Amino acid sequence: MAPSGVVLLALALALVGAALALRGFAYPRPRPPGPGGGPWRHLGRMEVAFVEAAADTLFPPGGEIPPSGSEAGVAAFLDRYLDAVPAGVRRLMRLLLVLVEHGTLLFPAPGWNGFRRFSALSEAQRVAALDGWRRSRLFPRRLVFTSLRALLAMGYLADPRVLRALDLAPRDIEPVVTEVDLLYPPVGAGREAIPWTEADLDRGGHRPPLGPDTPLHPDYRDPTPAAGGGRA
Amino acid sequence: MSSGSRAPAEQLRVFADYRGPVREEADVAVVGSGPCGAVAARELATRGLRVVLLEEGPPLSARDIVLDGALSMTRTMREAGLRATRGTVMPTMQAIVLGGGSFVNSAICVRAPDFVLDGWCEVAELSATSRKDLDPHYDAVAALSGVAPTPDEVQGRRNLLFRDGCRALGIPSEPIERNVRGCRGSGECFTGCRSRAKQSADLTWIPDAMRHGARVLTSVQIQELLHERGRVVGVAGRVAEPFTGRLSHPVSVRARAVVLAAGVMATPVLLQRSGNLANRSGQVGENLQFHPGVAATGIYPEPTDPWFGATQGYQSLHFVRDGFKLETLWAPPGVMSVRTPGFGHELKRRLAEIRRSATFDAIASCHRSLGRVRARRRGLDPAITWRLHPDDVDILMRALHVLCRLHFAAGAEKVLPGVHGAPDELFREEEAEIFVRRRFGPGDLVTAGNHVFGTTRMHGDPRRGVVDEHGRCHDVENLFILDTGIFPRSPGVNPMLTGMALARRGAHALADQLGGRSAPEA
Ligand SMILES: Cc1cc2nc3c(=O)[nH]c(=O)nc-3n(C[C@H](O)[C@H](O)[C@H](O)COP(=O)(O)OP(=O)(O)OC[C@H]3O[C@@H](n4cnc5c(N)ncnc54)[C@H](O)[C@@H]3O)c2cc1C
Ligand code: SF4
Repeated sequence: MAPSGVVLLALALALVGAALALRGFAYPRPRPPGPGGGPWRHLGRMEVAFVEAAADTLFPPGGEIPPSGSEAGVAAFLDRYLDAVPAGVRRLMRLLLVLVEHGTLLFPAPGWNGFRRFSALSEAQRVAALDGWRRSRLFPRRLVFTSLRALLAMGYLADPRVLRALDLAPRDIEPVVTEVDLLYPPVGAGREAIPWTEADLDRGGHRPPLGPDTPLHPDYRDPTPAAGGGRA
Repeated sequence: MSSGSRAPAEQLRVFADYRGPVREEADVAVVGSGPCGAVAARELATRGLRVVLLEEGPPLSARDIVLDGALSMTRTMREAGLRATRGTVMPTMQAIVLGGGSFVNSAICVRAPDFVLDGWCEVAELSATSRKDLDPHYDAVAALSGVAPTPDEVQGRRNLLFRDGCRALGIPSEPIERNVRGCRGSGECFTGCRSRAKQSADLTWIPDAMRHGARVLTSVQIQELLHERGRVVGVAGRVAEPFTGRLSHPVSVRARAVVLAAGVMATPVLLQRSGNLANRSGQVGENLQFHPGVAATGIYPEPTDPWFGATQGYQSLHFVRDGFKLETLWAPPGVMSVRTPGFGHELKRRLAEIRRSATFDAIASCHRSLGRVRARRRGLDPAITWRLHPDDVDILMRALHVLCRLHFAAGAEKVLPGVHGAPDELFREEEAEIFVRRRFGPGDLVTAGNHVFGTTRMHGDPRRGVVDEHGRCHDVENLFILDTGIFPRSPGVNPMLTGMALARRGAHALADQLGGRSAPEA
């Protein structure tokens, strides 16, 4: 690594260390994730504030797809996602959030007005800050941006409203019961949990290709009555 | 492929069945239930041998399939789908589920071309691995897997646009042959087939192996090979909880022979963890190769309904001699969105264009780009180092240029090439010239590599390879390796079918060695 790269990395690490030490101060307590209202499992105050700010910068409200990043529940998605990834990966991801939140100290946005973390910047400055990561000549900086963007976009595109707006919501496919469905229980359960019997076995026959009229999967339907059951 | 009778349920063990230590005996322990291990297990079982097939992942019932791409990956892929190489950073995915990669892949089945296999024979000093030698095995695995060309009724618009683009440029193309029966064109192969159309190993080869007497132990992580005086005598590991990987009861299987089919990343790690077994050549974990891929998304004037259609339905083998293969591509929206440039309202506008999009990709052979796999200090996850060679970047850029031309020829309004240092959007074919006129570096590309080879390569010379062309370890006569790690180099095309054909051949060589009964009529 070139000397400037080493210095930069050392600075970034020092910054992350300081930020971790100060984590939580000066951030509002976040709303609980999701309508169920359970506690956040992994993300702390700072991380929720950052994720919501970054998600709204990537996906502002309005336009072709109505929900904003925070309305689409990107932070709650990320919390769930972190729960499912191995601990080492989880640590790295959280580090990524801290790095971009406090990276504004190392890579200040244009129109710089004092040392401010990402979530405290104005909308225009956030855009400029993210653009700095995105267009950097340094591959590691671009990699940070690509990784962050991928995480937030995965969360945004997990939201049923977003998928419906894009006409990309999964369709309802009636279960086809094959020999292995009488063999493999649901994960974690014993064979007694297999819901099918021989009588349910698929008898073959042609199933037509899916098409625009295929109804949406129940989890992706619009729950509002006016939507008429959320057909595609 | 069902032979009529049902696979006996008592021959399968799932996580909930383990109450204490597990001890088994067999003629052959097969480690890994991906397409290669599953074929090996089934073929060995048809030869009357007592087979135990061991798989770390669980079987997934149709109800276990998660539709969200990112969350699905955390359950079906190793390291939650976030595994990447060091050196040149590139994501690479390996499955952890009964059926291995065949559960999550796009079911593309292609035979390696003659010239590729002749090249293998030459560089690896092989005498019986020409296309003529492998064709009977290709025929057998293709027949049992239901391999057939993708019919037009499930191509969907985005696959047919590829065909149109190829026609307009005079490039030969064809519907992809896939191992599916009754595909409904849901484009969801990556998260698992809810329609039970994809004939992944868990639906086909594994139940058939059980019908022939094989026992299948899922949720078992094999941690080492047991060996005495230069021979393997079995394998040992622990029960592993699905999705969390938490380890519990010990498991051991004593066997007359072992087949390692744990995949290109896991097989060398298991050998390294077992006292550097079968590594007199020093080649275990070396020669790692990928098929890095690049993709270009075209935006068309009319809706393409890209969610509909076979996940990957059309291809062109025209440039395989030049080092790349062209295909169509679809993946869950969250995964596809990674390629969409920009942010803010610009990003939203571009995302909204996905409904008018088609994505084409190219996979490249990249013979010059090599790497290695090493065991880490703890656990079985590999440390993977790999470097994309600058000359191979040139091939990828050439492939990208062709992809952009295909889109414009098919009527695209614009193309998103996803390359750092090039415009986010191209509006005219001439703009794509940038990919052949300018030199780009490995860091400029958004690439991924899910086809992997070489870490236990076959070679006629025991000093230069780990196994012979039947998969038998040069150093350990009763240890066979039958996964795509034994490829001496890239097959030029999608690897699954070649891996299965080689596994079939190797399994019969092992059955002959163990005195299995004669092979049944195909
Ligand atoms: C997303 C994706 C799409 C793809 N699409 C295609 C395609 O369309 N066509 C094609 O030809 N190829 C495709 N490939 C590649 C193809 O799937 C692989 O080449 C193929 O699966 C390799 O088969 P295998 O049996 O060698 O290994 P794998 O399929 O990797 O199987 C190895 C198995 O061993 C198990 N295992 C590993 N370690 C242990 C252990 N210690 N103990 C117990 N079990 C263990 C794993 O859990 C796994 O199930 C794709 C791959 C991916 C990831
Ligand atoms: S496209 Fe859909 S129906 Fe067809 S094999 Fe893939 S997942 Fe199954």
